[in-house]
Amino acid sequence: MKIGFGARMIEFAGARPRLISWTMGLVTALLVVLAVLPTLWPERFPVLNAVTVDTDPENMLPHDEPVRVFNDAMKKEFSLNDIVVVGIANETDPDGVFNPDTLKRVYELTEFARGLKWPDPEDPEKQVGVVEADILAPSMVDDIRQAGLGAVSFGWLMPEPPKTREEALAVRERAMKIPMFNDTLVSGDGKMLAIYLPLTSKDMSYRVRQALLKKTASWKDTGDRIYITGLPIAEDTFGVEMFIQMAISAPLAMVVIFLIMWLFFRNLTLIISPMIVAMVASVATMALLVISGNTIHIMSSMIPIFVMPIAVLDAVHILSEFFDRYQETRDRWQTVRKVMHELFMPMLFTSLTTMVGFASLALTPIPPVQVFGIFISIGVFLAWILTILFVPAYIMMMSEEKLENFGHLPTDTDDPDTMMSRGLKRLGRAMYCHARLVMLGVAALVVLGGYGISRININDNPIKWFEESHPIRIADKVLNRHFGGTYMAYLALMPGDDGQGLDAYLKDFSARLKKAEESAAGEGIENTGKVFAALAAKAKAVAEDARDEAALLKVLNAFVEEKIDTAPDEEYDAWDAAQYFIGTELQRKQIFKQPEVLRYIEGLQQALLDTGHVGKANTLSDIVKTVHRELLLGKAEEFRIPDSAAAVAQTLLTYQNSHRPDDLWHFVTPDYRKSNIWVQLKSGDNKDMSQVVAAIEDYTAKNPPPMGIKLRWYGLNYINVVWQERMVNGMMQSLAGSFIIVLLMMAGLFRSVTWGLLSMIPLSVTIGLIYGVIGLIGKDYDMPIAVLSALSLGLAVDYAIHFIARSRAITEELGDWRLAVDKVFGEPARAIARNALVLGVGFLPLLAAPLVPYQTVGIFIAAILLTAGAATLMILPAAITLLKNFLFSRPEEAEDPACIGD
Amino acid sequence: MNHQTMKHVLRTGFIAMIAAGAMLAAPRGSAAAEDPSAMEIVHHANLVSYFQGKDGRARVSMVIRDKQGRERKRLFTILRRDAPDTDDLANAAYRGEQKYYVYFHRPADVSKMSLLVWKHLDRDDDRWLYLPALDLVKRIAASDKRTSFAGSDFFYEDVSGRNIDLDEHKLIKTTKNYYIIRNTPKDPGSVEFSYYDAYIHKSTFLPVQIEYFDKKGQKYRVYKALKVENIQGYATVTQSSMTNLQSGSVTTLSYKGVKYNRGTPEDIFSERFLRRAPVKHLR
Repeated sequence: MKIGFGARMIEFAGARPRLISWTMGLVTALLVVLAVLPTLWPERFPVLNAVTVDTDPENMLPHDEPVRVFNDAMKKEFSLNDIVVVGIANETDPDGVFNPDTLKRVYELTEFARGLKWPDPEDPEKQVGVVEADILAPSMVDDIRQAGLGAVSFGWLMPEPPKTREEALAVRERAMKIPMFNDTLVSGDGKMLAIYLPLTSKDMSYRVRQALLKKTASWKDTGDRIYITGLPIAEDTFGVEMFIQMAISAPLAMVVIFLIMWLFFRNLTLIISPMIVAMVASVATMALLVISGNTIHIMSSMIPIFVMPIAVLDAVHILSEFFDRYQETRDRWQTVRKVMHELFMPMLFTSLTTMVGFASLALTPIPPVQVFGIFISIGVFLAWILTILFVPAYIMMMSEEKLENFGHLPTDTDDPDTMMSRGLKRLGRAMYCHARLVMLGVAALVVLGGYGISRININDNPIKWFEESHPIRIADKVLNRHFGGTYMAYLALMPGDDGQGLDAYLKDFSARLKKAEESAAGEGIENTGKVFAALAAKAKAVAEDARDEAALLKVLNAFVEEKIDTAPDEEYDAWDAAQYFIGTELQRKQIFKQPEVLRYIEGLQQALLDTGHVGKANTLSDIVKTVHRELLLGKAEEFRIPDSAAAVAQTLLTYQNSHRPDDLWHFVTPDYRKSNIWVQLKSGDNKDMSQVVAAIEDYTAKNPPPMGIKLRWYGLNYINVVWQERMVNGMMQSLAGSFIIVLLMMAGLFRSVTWGLLSMIPLSVTIGLIYGVIGLIGKDYDMPIAVLSALSLGLAVDYAIHFIARSRAITEELGDWRLAVDKVFGEPARAIARNALVLGVGFLPLLAAPLVPYQTVGIFIAAILLTAGAATLMILPAAITLLKNFLFSRPEEAEDPACIGD
Repeated sequence: MNHQTMKHVLRTGFIAMIAAGAMLAAPRGSAAAEDPSAMEIVHHANLVSYFQGKDGRARVSMVIRDKQGRERKRLFTILRRDAPDTDDLANAAYRGEQKYYVYFHRPADVSKMSLLVWKHLDRDDDRWLYLPALDLVKRIAASDKRTSFAGSDFFYEDVSGRNIDLDEHKLIKTTKNYYIIRNTPKDPGSVEFSYYDAYIHKSTFLPVQIEYFDKKGQKYRVYKALKVENIQGYATVTQSSMTNLQSGSVTTLSYKGVKYNRGTPEDIFSERFLRRAPVKHLR
């Protein structure tokens, strides 16, 4: 029945070639126009979706994902922004950057960076770019230091460029004494400086970087070097280079595929048809992606690179068969018809399996990967339709002369005498004769693959998306060698349940109220008895329907404040004392003023450093300790947390008498209920972040935080870890899911579970082997590698479908598998081999890409296709030979004469 | 710079230019006959803002409200005593040394923290801080007065007054109710602003709005007098605010119990009284 439908399609293609070509051309043009118009003139086509680029790895997780919601909330609460790190080095001066000339340039650069702000295109009321108030630079941070005669001084660390070498070195000495600056602003070896530029949003970083590079171009002959890095830079720069990449690599791959096809088929006009199919399929898919409002993400930017080879696959099968058969009849319609009838079912199924493989990505919990999978599925479907309709139509439209010398001339053996033919024939026989040995070899490879897989290292790092020689990679290396680290993660500390109910609290409250009354009376304040009795009565009344102590205190505070305003003069002081008491009760909730909590943070900070991955952790405790030390004559032993919450509060109020009081709110909320640890990691490797997370879990298990405080990670580096975990698990599921679906499809196609299982062997071995090799060579299992599993599954099964379909047909025809082997290793094997070569080699140009994920995709697609081709041509014949009595109903002779002497 | 500010700056700049042009073109003495000189206005404003009476006291409640709407409150009493016995503008006789005493009541955990400032006309101020929880009196080297006052959007200099000798003053415009004085620092390297414009009320000489412009000419900080009351015959700002346009934070100061000429003795403005608060004078 399907053949009937297929046959009708083939007849239609033969009959209406021009209609098909025009329709294809017009539909494609329409799609492109719909995508391009709103991109060029967004205001004129507000209904249509324009091209939007999204390079934010955060979007690997849905916006409403709890970890992202928490991340956004915390970033807002602690006023945190993504940061560009600018390192400045001087390799010629013995004091590094701490000389007057360099510091003058640093000062000027800082002034320049302060102005890197532009009107927000979406809201002209706002500005985007560098967040001036939060810049960390020598001329913009405050220093607290001894100022002689026991005085302490607050002032800019470097109010103006120093004039002498001594002054320059003094800047260094002062900065290194402040823990918040040492190893963050000034490198541990005292040679380098870093400026931290917070951004209103990550996507400003490319622009900021370009501006800084332009500004510092004149530094060339000064000995000063500038290094710019940070995750936002990496991500944003990747987005820009991604486009350059798409514009170069995809067409280059096309050219190479074209050249190889020309080498095989030697007919320029004819091989243009698969190129058109590939082009139309990928262009139309991308246009659909844009029209449907999806963004061009790191994943979706690779769609053309995936669609192209798959689109060419079926056409290569058609051309390959046509090439081998045309000279038999020299009647193109007869040949096309015969080829199409033979290939219709295998092509339908290979396309379906590929679509299933990619569509299964929709099961992963990662939106960009879902979009990627679904649109490649659409692309594959388009390619299939085009191949079935357009390739025959194209052949029919060609002039007869152009086909004159096309293909193999008929020979005695009916097979051409080429190196490939001879080689394949010999391969077929060898597989048939040494089936046992082959299968043993396969078993050995599977074991090796399994071992490799067990050693797979799951890891990703956006900085490593660039080649080692890329300026961003170099900057990353230099800065992380000298400083605490340019990779940011944050640890939020939040109040947990302190386990105390309202009743228990009230009991203590009453006792403390009594004490407060006594102490107020002791100070000689009048009317304390009356006022405190009124407060106690009010507390009792409110407590009956108060939800918790916070609600209770809120009502009491309002009550007392009102009384202060209205009380007669003689009661004023007593009410003032009552309000003081409520104030102290309220402050019991300010957990991050408690010395015991600040000391716990100290321990946590040490545990972070002990992981070896954290270069620096900045905490509220550092601020308290530093100010405390400087208040007490700068003595080293006073670098400690003071002993009372009031002392902490007074130390912090002193700190706020600076140029930048708001710096405090990066580390604690104004209600002192939440605190934040800024963790600087030396690498952006997800596995390192995972280890830090595990180490802190371990630490808190052994050292439970006081007051039931809860810890929770956030920040870019942490989010990367979360989506990576999602990706790994999601890919496993989608791979398993599509494996089962493809297996069912195969069993259905071949009407046999055994044949179905058999067809899954080459792809299983291919995937096992490829991932085994990834484990063995120590290549990290990252995003592109994970996605390639879907590609391997979808593509590797194609060769098996073609091989088995033809093997069964030929065995049926000849009556015997032994006799069929030679024929199977004729034209059908050649089509498979050609296919694998065309595509495998066709993707090697991606190796020239400056972006590592594209290189990875290029080399692994090539490896997958070549391995799958080889696996099909070697494993299947051997396996069929071993199982022939079981697979084919007819019994065979025990020994094959063809094998003697082999 | 947002659109509104841009427009505003353009407009202000434009008007300033016209004003400047008009001043050059107009025959001398026509407008100037009615208007006092820039220096006279500045002295008068300085007097009513910081030097009224021999001494003064106020209980100040400070609310710092950040961009996210989170509030922090502080309550303190401020005492001031001037060295000169007169408020006479002639020869700037009102000007002289001043002493300030700031005593914190709330938040509870900084209660009794206090600050003593001796303001000088010709050199850096002397400043002491008392931290009761550490039982520590600390001298603060106050070379830079443009630091935050107790974590708020007000600077020390805003609370105790910027020395008028540090800026050049120019009357850039006179409106129905206001003199607009542009103040440009003599030493631009020592401050974060490039100039500030003060809108000084014609009859009270109180600055009701002060706008600060940064080195790129953008307005980034605005002071507003929100409430003015007549206390003991002195026009007194009893509520004011300072907005940091960059951070979106606003600090509001509300003055209660303002009293002038209480006869506050000079000896309480001393280190000794930091540890032992002069309770009688604070109430």
